[in-house]
Formats: sequence, structure tokens, C-alpha cells
Amino acid sequence: MTVTATKLPPSKHPYAEVIHRLEAGGAMLPDTPENLMQIIGLYKAYAVPMDFYWRDLLYIAERVFLEPLPFFKYFLPKEYLDLPNHYAGDTADLMIWRGQATAHPELLAFMERGETGKMPRLFHHLWHDRINMEFAEMCMRSMLWHRGMGGRFDPYLDSEEYKANANRAIEAYFRGNPAMLSLHKLFPEMFLEQCRQMSYYSNLGLFWEVMAPVFFEMSDLYDEGKMTSVPQAMQFLVNGIFAIAGRPIYHHVYIKGECFEIIPKSKGFTWLYEAALPYVEAVFYRTAPFRGTKSYNAQANQIPADQKDFHYGILYADVFPVGTAGIPPTLLMQDMLHFLPPYLVEYYSKYCRGQEDMLIQLGVSFQRSMFCVTSAVIQALRQALLYPLDDPNPRHLLKNRTFFEGQMDRFLRPEARLNAIQNQAYR
Amino acid sequence: MLSVLVWLPIIGAVIIGLRPQKNQARSIALSVSFGLVVWSFWLLFQFSSSLSTMQFIEALQWVPQLGLNYRLGIDGLSLPLVVLSSVLTWVAIYSSKREIERPRLYYALILLVNAGLAGGFLVQNLLLFALFYELELVPIYLLIAIWGGTERRGYAAIKFLTYTAVSGFLILSAFLGIGFLAGSEAFSYNPQLIAALPIATQVVLLSLILFGFGIKIPLFPLHTWLPDAYAEASPPVAILLGGVLAKLGTYGLVRFGLNLFPEAWHLLAPGLAVLGAVSAIYGSLVALAQKDIKLMVAYSSIGHMGYILLAIAAATPLSLLGAVLQMVSHGLILAMLFYLVGLIEAKVGTRDLDGLNGLMNPVRGLPLISALLILAGMASAGIPGLVGFIAEFLVLQGSFVPYPIPTLLCVVCSGLTAVYFVILISRTCFGKLDNATAYYPSVLWSERIPALLLAGLILLFGLQPSWLTHWSETTTTALASQIKIAAAANFPGDLP
Repeated sequence: MTVTATKLPPSKHPYAEVIHRLEAGGAMLPDTPENLMQIIGLYKAYAVPMDFYWRDLLYIAERVFLEPLPFFKYFLPKEYLDLPNHYAGDTADLMIWRGQATAHPELLAFMERGETGKMPRLFHHLWHDRINMEFAEMCMRSMLWHRGMGGRFDPYLDSEEYKANANRAIEAYFRGNPAMLSLHKLFPEMFLEQCRQMSYYSNLGLFWEVMAPVFFEMSDLYDEGKMTSVPQAMQFLVNGIFAIAGRPIYHHVYIKGECFEIIPKSKGFTWLYEAALPYVEAVFYRTAPFRGTKSYNAQANQIPADQKDFHYGILYADVFPVGTAGIPPTLLMQDMLHFLPPYLVEYYSKYCRGQEDMLIQLGVSFQRSMFCVTSAVIQALRQALLYPLDDPNPRHLLKNRTFFEGQMDRFLRPEARLNAIQNQAYR
Repeated sequence: MLSVLVWLPIIGAVIIGLRPQKNQARSIALSVSFGLVVWSFWLLFQFSSSLSTMQFIEALQWVPQLGLNYRLGIDGLSLPLVVLSSVLTWVAIYSSKREIERPRLYYALILLVNAGLAGGFLVQNLLLFALFYELELVPIYLLIAIWGGTERRGYAAIKFLTYTAVSGFLILSAFLGIGFLAGSEAFSYNPQLIAALPIATQVVLLSLILFGFGIKIPLFPLHTWLPDAYAEASPPVAILLGGVLAKLGTYGLVRFGLNLFPEAWHLLAPGLAVLGAVSAIYGSLVALAQKDIKLMVAYSSIGHMGYILLAIAAATPLSLLGAVLQMVSHGLILAMLFYLVGLIEAKVGTRDLDGLNGLMNPVRGLPLISALLILAGMASAGIPGLVGFIAEFLVLQGSFVPYPIPTLLCVVCSGLTAVYFVILISRTCFGKLDNATAYYPSVLWSERIPALLLAGLILLFGLQPSWLTHWSETTTTALASQIKIAAAANFPGDLP
């Protein structure tokens, strides 16, 4: 997309440069080949564990469900590894990635051999040679806890209809188990809340089912030389967002061969409004303060009282302490470390401590790539709610600008890394 | 056998000086000092720890008219210090920068320092001791003045030179006084001759010796050369300076103060005990106020030297043993602290407490170095399980009966040491890295080795102190009984 120079006077916002770039159809991230290489490489490295995350999230939501002792919830059965992704392969509803619909071969290879060697999955798990699924659960819980982010999905979890559906599934799940059934009678809210959490497992699983093939395809296009600039990458994401926007979000549970539709597809919850936007808000912007950087002491007032003011997402995170105790993104960084494309390993070897501090270097690149994703979301929102960038009407352009400025206001806090990523020296 | 320790480094220095190839200097110096370490360990196992007299005596007539004999010997007092000096010289040479300027001069000087140290600990002749004592002077001056830190290195080196020269002069004049008054026979370390001198003369001579070694140790208020010299010296030189050279002072105090003048010592001891306690408290309080981590470590040294003075003043068997242990433990701990501080400065580029932060970060910081710094700080503060505790506890236990108040003041000083080391550690190792500056180079394994070695020794002797104490026990007990007999003979009223 090419856009002529803006017809408005320059913005006076502290992030004016970024705003002008957004108005010209660019991303928050400067368009350099180095940035492009980093973000695409990280999409690739992120997509492989993500392929595991979404499968396992759905497995937990649909099969493990309320298991009181879910010891083996990270052990995916073959059925879920072979589960065809709806957006990849020949059977796809809408083919985004041209690769296979079942689990990614790199993921399967890692699950088999890990970093150590071939041994039974249980030993891989106990030796911690595995995908850090806890990170996906943390994202899910963050979406569950940050309520009131818009959308109808979250209010629906409190409706009588949902409660009735959930109740039916809970009773079916514990049939023949009088202890659990009486617990359910005594404390009807207990399993219900667990069930809501399961619904968010499903929500996030369905969200990532889309993102994994998108990232795989971007990486393939880059490798083929068909993706050459940061705005192009962002535009691919925007197009992907619109193509998928209407995909249903639901929660089905399979109990003894029977399917319980706790949130039926017919409710009309859609991917963009019920999964993507809440996810970006909850995980990119808010999440929860890292135990290793903030004090939860109520008197210290380090943590805002209002959830709206939480600013601990990846766009604000300090990546330098990754690898330290109390820094949750470490889990994801370690996952991505297994799947870095060779060109990034070579690139990191040239800077800082080379392969020794790759965990942090890739964390910084990941932060850049997530700024690109957030740019895509901001552009998509603008496209959905406001006016095209080449609108001839200056009043419309002014509306766009006000929107962009409002978005950039969120990065005015000192923790925001928007300034840092403008500079290649931040690595 | 002992001559090897003195002459091998001198020969090594000459070889380094004569070889035209600059790049071989380091490897020659390393192998010579490693040879010395092996040799001193071998001595350690040849040494019979049940004898209180000198062993491995070597004697040669040199200038009989002056009473100048080449006479070497070793006992439980000098043995641990000789081994310490060999080990720390190896550490200092190993930790010198590979691409150092004028390597031949540098390594030759370090080996000369080592020769002087070994000589100082081994000779049994007063004039020869003074000779070796002065021999330290010039190499250290050059090491600070040429390879020191900032522009202030010239000033620091001159200050060191002046103070130490005065110290040497005081000691030499005391020795010459001994020679004049007791006959030149007395030069060859003969306590009986000196004991015959009138007590007032003894007090004067002892005071000269006290001032002379007090500068070297250093004690408050003779310490003002120390912060400059320690801070300006490069880490290897600081290791030698603080780790072993200061021990030459405390060793001299025992050998030439306590042992030669037991009666005069008994008279002056209460004042020395107070001075030791004051020195300890003063050093800790000044360390508390520093913003530069190297200066903190330097002042901590004054504090720890105060303990040694207290212990020597008390002169009980336990306290003297504690003094020897404290010399060794302080040598190991200070060397480790200086090494780590030097490494941090090399990697981070600052020693400022306000500029350092978050070095415990496992990926981008210096995690192992920080961990070792915490260990060394704990050892210095006297945390049980590490060698510092063993030494301090023996000192305090041994000194409490004769001097309860100074001992309690030293306990307070021990608490203050913990205070400033916690400040140092929390500002340096804890906190978070500054994202704008934290692109430090990583620490190589070869750079970790000296610190790990010292940490191993500190831990080993902290857990198994008898491996350290049993070399010196007989000697220190004999020393203590000697002063007790002298005191009983001359001041019968003082004894309970």
C-alpha cells in the first residue's frame, strides 16, 4: 500500500515520528531489513511452540476439562497432534499456510528428541526438556482475569444460559463420582469458575490456531523473497486479521464420546472481537506485574489499583532480566530458543555476548515483532472503525490522527519500549 | 631448600630481563611462580609441626664484621605466610592482563617482589631482613607508578614510596640500635642478648619497630598511604600489596617486636590493644562512607589488620594462633576481593557504587563473579563456614580475657564489616541492570579460575580449620609462653 504524503500539519505528539509513519501506512517499527529479518525470524521461532500451545489448550479445554488431578495435561495424544489446523494444508477452511495441517515437523522432532536425545516423553518432561506450556496458561489466565475489555464473550460467561450449559457438562463429567458430585452440590460456583477458565483455554487455543499458520506463512514468504519490508509484513497481518475476523469462537467439551456445547458456535462469537482484541489488550498491554520486578505490597502502591492501568505486557516489559527468577516471559524465550532460524543464530552471534545471551537478544527481537503485530492491530482497528489512509477529506484524516495519537498515548509511560525499539542499538 | 624460594624468583626475573622475546615473559613468570607454589607446598609437608624451633636452617657467613649473615629458617609463624605469598604471587601473575605494556619489566618486578617477600619471611638476621624489606620498595613503587590506574598513580606511588621508606628507616634504625647496644652478635636474631638491655632502652627500640611496621600494616593513624596506593594499583599489584606485603608488617611485629622484646611488649601491650580496636572501628567506619568499591575493600583491610594487632597485644596462645590465621585468611579474602573488584571494573568500566547495579543477572550480568563476591564479602565479615570466622573467633576468644573492652569493640567492628559489605553487595550485585549501558563483555573461564581457587581455599579452611592451624600451633604456644615467662620474671605483680 502506498500512500501520498500526509495532508495534515505535523503532529505535536511526543511520538510524532511514529504517528507519521503509521499515517503513511507503516508500522511502529522502523522499516529496515534488519528489523524485518528479526521480526520474521521470531515469528517463525514463536509459531512452532505456538503450534503446540493451541493444540494443548484445546486438548485441555475439550478433554482434560475438570480433571481434579491433571498430571498429564501437557501430554498431547496423537489425535491432537494430528488435528488438522483449519487454516493450513489441503483441507483448510481458508488456506493461509501452504504447509501441512497437522503438527509442524520441527515441533514433532523436538518432542521426540528434545535437547537431550530420544527418550520416553515422561522423562523429557521430568528433565524439563519440553515446551513450557505454563506460559500459554499464564496468557490464558491473564485474559480470564482482565475482564471488561469489550466483547460479549466475557459477559456471556456470567449468563444463566452459560451456567446451565456448564452445569450439564459438569454433571456429565463427574457422573458416577459421588464425591465430586456432592462437592459440586455444596459449592456450585467452584466447578463453574473452573469451567469458565476452560472456556478461556478454548478461546486462546482458537486464537492461536490462526496465528500459527499466519506466522509460518510469513516466514515462508520471507524465505522465498516475497516479503521485503516491515509495512508489507504488517499488511499481511492486517489482511489476515480481516480474512479470519468472522471465525467462530466456541467451547465444546467431549465427555465419554458425547459433545457438550458449553459455548455453541451458534452464539456468533467471532475471532476478532472475542479473541484477538481481548488477547492483545490482556497480553500485549496488561498482563500481571512480574513477581521479580514489582512489589505486590499494598502499602508500596507500586501496582495500580485499576486493572485498566496495568502495563506489564510485552510492549512494556524489560527484557534484560530474562532468565532471572520471577520473570515469566523467560518461559517463552526458552521455548523460542529451540526453534530459531539459522540466520538469526548467526546474527545474534555477532552481537553482545553472542550465543551466550541469545535468550535476551531474541527477547528484544520478539518485542520488536510484537510491536509489529500491535501495529497491525491498530491499523486494522483504524480500517474497521475509521477512514482509509488516502482519504481525500482532511477532516477524516484528522480523525485518523486523533485515533493514532490516542493509541500512542498508551506508550507515554516511561516503561514503554516504543522509544527503545526505534533504535537498533537496543538489542 | 629455603634458598630456592628466595633465589628462584630472582633468577626468573633475570632470565625474563635477558630474553629478547617479550611474549615469553608471561609464561616464564607463570612457570617460575608455579614452581614456587609447588616448592612451598612440598616444604609444608616436610615441615614438622611438633617443633617450636626454626627448621631447614641454612647459614652462610657473609660480612662477619657487620654481623651480616645469610641465615634462613622457617617456623610455624613464617611457614603459612610463605605459602600464602607463593600462592598469591601466582594468582597475581595469572591475573595480569595478557597484553600488558612492557611485559618483561612488569613480570621481572613481580618476581622480585616475591623474592623480597620470601626473603623477608625467612631470614633470621636483622640486617638482612631490613635489606629484603627495602627490596620491596622500588619494585612496588614502579608497579604502581607505571601500570597503575588513573593520573593519580604517580602521586599514590610517591606517597607509598615515602611512607615505606620512612618505615624502612625506622626499622633499620631500631636494628642498628640493637646492634650498637647489644653487640653485633645480636644481628643474627639472638633474643637473649637483647633481653639483657635495660627496659627503658627496650621500650624505645620497640617503639621504633612499632612505628615502622605500623606504617606497613597499616594502622590508624599511619594508614593514609593505603587508600591511594590500593586504589591506584592494578588488581594484581593490589593483591600482592594487600594480600602479602601488609603481612610482612604484622609478621615483623611478632618476630621483631613480641619475640625480641617480651618485657617491653608487656608494658606497651594495653596501648596496642586499644590502638588495634580503634584501627578496626576506624577502618570499618571509613569503609562505610566510601562510594568506590575498591576503596571499601582497601579500608576493610585496615579494619582487619586491627584484629591482628589486638591479638598480638594479647599474646595468649589462642590469640597468637588467631593472629597467624587472620593473616592468612585476610590474605586470601583480600586477594579474592581485589581480584573480583578488578574484574568487575574491567568488564563494567566503573567502580562507583552508584554506577553499578544488577550484576547478578544470569544472562547479561556477571553472575558467577557476583556470587563469589558475595562469598568473599561474607568471609570478610566473619560468617561461619568461611575462613574469616575461624580467624576472627580465635582472635576474639584469645583476647577477651586480657583485654575485654578492645575485644568487644572488635566484635562491633565485625558487625560494621557486615554492614558495609551488605551495602557493597546490594548496590553491586542486586537491583536491575541499566538497559542503556548493560552490554558488558562476558567473563571467560580462564578469568574465573583464580577467584574459584581462592574461594575453594576460603571454604576449605572455613570447614576444616585444623588443616590451617596445626602448622602454627606449636610455634605460637611457645611464643606465648615466652612472653608469659618474661612478664612473670619482671612484673610479678601483674599476674593473677
